[in-house]
Amino acid sequence: MRTRTPPGLQVLRTVVIADDESSMRLLVHATIESDDYCVVEAADGAEAWAMVQQHRPALVLLDVQMPGRSGLEVLRLIKADPSLAATRVILLTAKAQETDIESGLIAGADFYLTKPFSPLDLLTRVEEALQL
Amino acid sequence: MALQRDGRERRHQPARQGWSLRNYMALFMVVLLGVAGLAAFAVRTMAEMDAQQTAMADANFAAKTAATEIATDFTLLEKTTDQLAANPTVAAVLSRAGSCGLTFTPGAFSKGHLDIISSDGSVRCSSQPLPKGPVYGLSDWLPVAMQSRTTVAPFLDPVSGEISAVVASPVGAGLGIVAAIVTLAPLGPSLAASLGGARHLEFLVTTKDSRTVLTRSIASARWVGADLAGTPFARSGGGVERPDVDGTDRLYAQVPVASTAWIVFAGADKAAALAAADQLSNRSIAIIVGGVAIMLLVTSVVYRRIAEPVRRLSLVMRGSTAGDAVKAVGPTGAAEVTNLAWDFDRLMATVKHELADRLTKEQKALVSERNYRQLFESHPQPMWLYDVHTLCFLKVNDAAVERYGYSREEFLAMTIRDIRPPQDLPKFLELIATAQPQLDKTGPWRHLLKDGSTVQVLITSHSTTFDDHEARLVLAEDLTESQQLELELHQSQARAEANAELSKAKDEMVSMVSHEMRTPLASIVGFAELLVTRKVTPAQRAEYLGVMLQEGRRLTALINDFLDLRRIEGGHLTMRFAPADIQALIKRGVALVADPAGIPIQIRVPSNMPLVRIDGDAIFRVVANLLSNARKYSPHGGEIVVGAAVVADMVEVYVQDQGLGIPADALSQVFRRFFRVDNPDRNGIKGTGLGLSICKNIVEAHGGTIGVESDGLGKGARFHFTVPLARETARTGDVLVLEDDSGFAHLLQAELTGLGLSSTWAADAETAERLMIKKSARAVVLDLLLPGLQGEAFLHRLRIKHGAEIPVVVVTLKDLDPAESLVLYKAGVTAILRKGPGMAETAARMIAKSLTAESQAAELVTG
Repeated sequence: MRTRTPPGLQVLRTVVIADDESSMRLLVHATIESDDYCVVEAADGAEAWAMVQQHRPALVLLDVQMPGRSGLEVLRLIKADPSLAATRVILLTAKAQETDIESGLIAGADFYLTKPFSPLDLLTRVEEALQL
Repeated sequence: MALQRDGRERRHQPARQGWSLRNYMALFMVVLLGVAGLAAFAVRTMAEMDAQQTAMADANFAAKTAATEIATDFTLLEKTTDQLAANPTVAAVLSRAGSCGLTFTPGAFSKGHLDIISSDGSVRCSSQPLPKGPVYGLSDWLPVAMQSRTTVAPFLDPVSGEISAVVASPVGAGLGIVAAIVTLAPLGPSLAASLGGARHLEFLVTTKDSRTVLTRSIASARWVGADLAGTPFARSGGGVERPDVDGTDRLYAQVPVASTAWIVFAGADKAAALAAADQLSNRSIAIIVGGVAIMLLVTSVVYRRIAEPVRRLSLVMRGSTAGDAVKAVGPTGAAEVTNLAWDFDRLMATVKHELADRLTKEQKALVSERNYRQLFESHPQPMWLYDVHTLCFLKVNDAAVERYGYSREEFLAMTIRDIRPPQDLPKFLELIATAQPQLDKTGPWRHLLKDGSTVQVLITSHSTTFDDHEARLVLAEDLTESQQLELELHQSQARAEANAELSKAKDEMVSMVSHEMRTPLASIVGFAELLVTRKVTPAQRAEYLGVMLQEGRRLTALINDFLDLRRIEGGHLTMRFAPADIQALIKRGVALVADPAGIPIQIRVPSNMPLVRIDGDAIFRVVANLLSNARKYSPHGGEIVVGAAVVADMVEVYVQDQGLGIPADALSQVFRRFFRVDNPDRNGIKGTGLGLSICKNIVEAHGGTIGVESDGLGKGARFHFTVPLARETARTGDVLVLEDDSGFAHLLQAELTGLGLSSTWAADAETAERLMIKKSARAVVLDLLLPGLQGEAFLHRLRIKHGAEIPVVVVTLKDLDPAESLVLYKAGVTAILRKGPGMAETAARMIAKSLTAESQAAELVTG
């Protein structure tokens, strides 16, 4: 776990970034870096789910293809947990086929972005999801 | 197997431990004859002993009886003389002269006379006519007899003139004597007549001292009074068995005569006794011989009735067919034997039946074999068998001889390369270098006929063994027009199918690859956008650019790998096989991934590794990939070993590390495209997921296999793959092409083939050196820029090892300065060509020319 926001600001809402590619985590983190929320990173699905349970984040940015648990699995776990009803989920996917998008949306994701995506677009979606 | 055969043979041929009946018969006869001989000998010996004992007993008895008789006779004589001497009439006769008469019966003595003798020796009265005068006056016994009764012998009676014995008794006081004078000579024969009988006894009576003969039963007249001294009898000295006076062997008994102290010898004729014994024993022997003869006869009959039929039966069993058995044994044998023969005959009848059955089958098999041979020989289409190693023809059928124009002998002296047009050779060699399936249909191929024309044929071939050769049977079918059309149709269909499959695979690939490309692309595009749209600190900027560069490189590698894989899988990447030194290749691979900071990679390759037949570039890529993986997945260090070994007819290369390892469930998947092991321990390790897939394709294109073993996470992994050994081809290459650019090498080889020169290609100098040792090419085309050992160094070593005669043409991209060129020319290089279009042809022509010049020079020298 790596955090870029200073500790002690736990009152802030948390955003979880889950991606197995460090370059992608860096990109997403750099894009959405903000004082309004705290960002934590997970390198695979299992870690992501652990962080979701720990931080009860307002938003989760999930890469679909990850070792361990896939992004879709984590998404299903979040949606199955009533205490996480407020948690928003944005999927980041390298898959671009219709079926993939459908399965992602049916599972209850709020939005998805296909790689490569525009960081500005991502930021817009994040702010929307957090209703900033 | 061997054991089994032994066992079977033992059953067929019983160990001849016992004797044959014939031997037993012979032994029996020998024993019989021996016993008979011993018996005969014993009978003879016993008969002789018996005869001698009987003879001795006879002699003893005779001697005793004779002695008693003589003694009795003399006693009688003494009594007679005593009584007469006491008669007063006798004294009166002596005292006064007058006539008187006496009668005398000599008893045992046949002749003799009784006398009354006066003291002066004159006879006064006698039982015979009186002699005149004192005839006994000179006899020395007279004075003695005057005193007392005296017995004297021998004494020559002056009256009868015979050797005689005297018994004399005195009459009165000195008046005279009464003397009974008996002739000794008849005594012996008389004894013999009364006692000797048929016993051949000799009676010999001697004086007390055994010196003088008194009488003898044989030739008594000759021996009476004779001295024994000097006779064989006296010489023998004594004993029971001694010769008589004539030298005849006798068995003597001797008894003294009681009154006279004479000695009576009774001698049985030994020879006669033995002759009788012989006669007896001869009879016994005759009986024994007769018995033996009867036994032999019986034995022979038994033998003829049992042994001989059995022997003949045995002969029949060994050599004859059924039915002869009974004939051979006949009705003459013993009942058991005849029965046996009948049984055997029945058995033989069964066997004969079976045999006939089998013969029919064998005949059928023969016919079938001939039919099969005819299938080959008389097949209307050309067929042949060739050795897969030497490529030599082993057998051709009539159709091949007729179609191709070569005679059978010409065919058998050729290899299957010789019926290919030169331009097709590389393709052909490539085909046969790969492992051919059991049954293969290929074509159409062009085949060269003897007249130089070519035909299009379809080849059906399958692996077989022929006379211990690993061979292939080939059927060459002429391509007819309709077949050609059919083939084209078939090919286009196959192509269409393959294309459909390919396009499906392509779609899959495109989808996978686009996915794999999105992540690095997302990083690059994303960071670029951030850099463009935001104000960033210099540190951030550097970080972002670093990531972009890294992801850009990753994308490049991915694209390269992907394209390679496409080429290999689509069959667009042609493998160019050449002999190669795997050790040199491994060393180059190790040098490529060498990390001065890490533990050196261990190389374990035996020094005598044979050459392998590979596409050097491709296999180098495999080795480099496996080595770099081993390095990559050993983040904490650990020993890495790369090695090679000959396994069956392949060479196995392995790379062993002690790194992160592979979980068991992933082992079977690591060679799949884009598969990467999911485990946090390797999160930071980048890879395209294509490397091993490429390796697998390359190895399989070589006819080899690739695999991996791992004991699990953290336990390291061992990757291994096989490549074929370089086979010794029947012909050595005329020209060695040392060129690491496989495309250019291929071009060169094709040009050389066009000029009628065979060639061998080596992609590195190490391999080339080994090929030169093995095959010694007549010329070399040399590239200078080579992996490993450089061209110049190779040339230097070539000149040292193989002399200055081998023409060398250098074809290179290297920019040579004049000094470097000079060094090359000094090393005897024919020409230095700059690699480029058309240069392959030029190089080939130069090589051909130099070789022609060389051979002309050689001819001049030999001429």
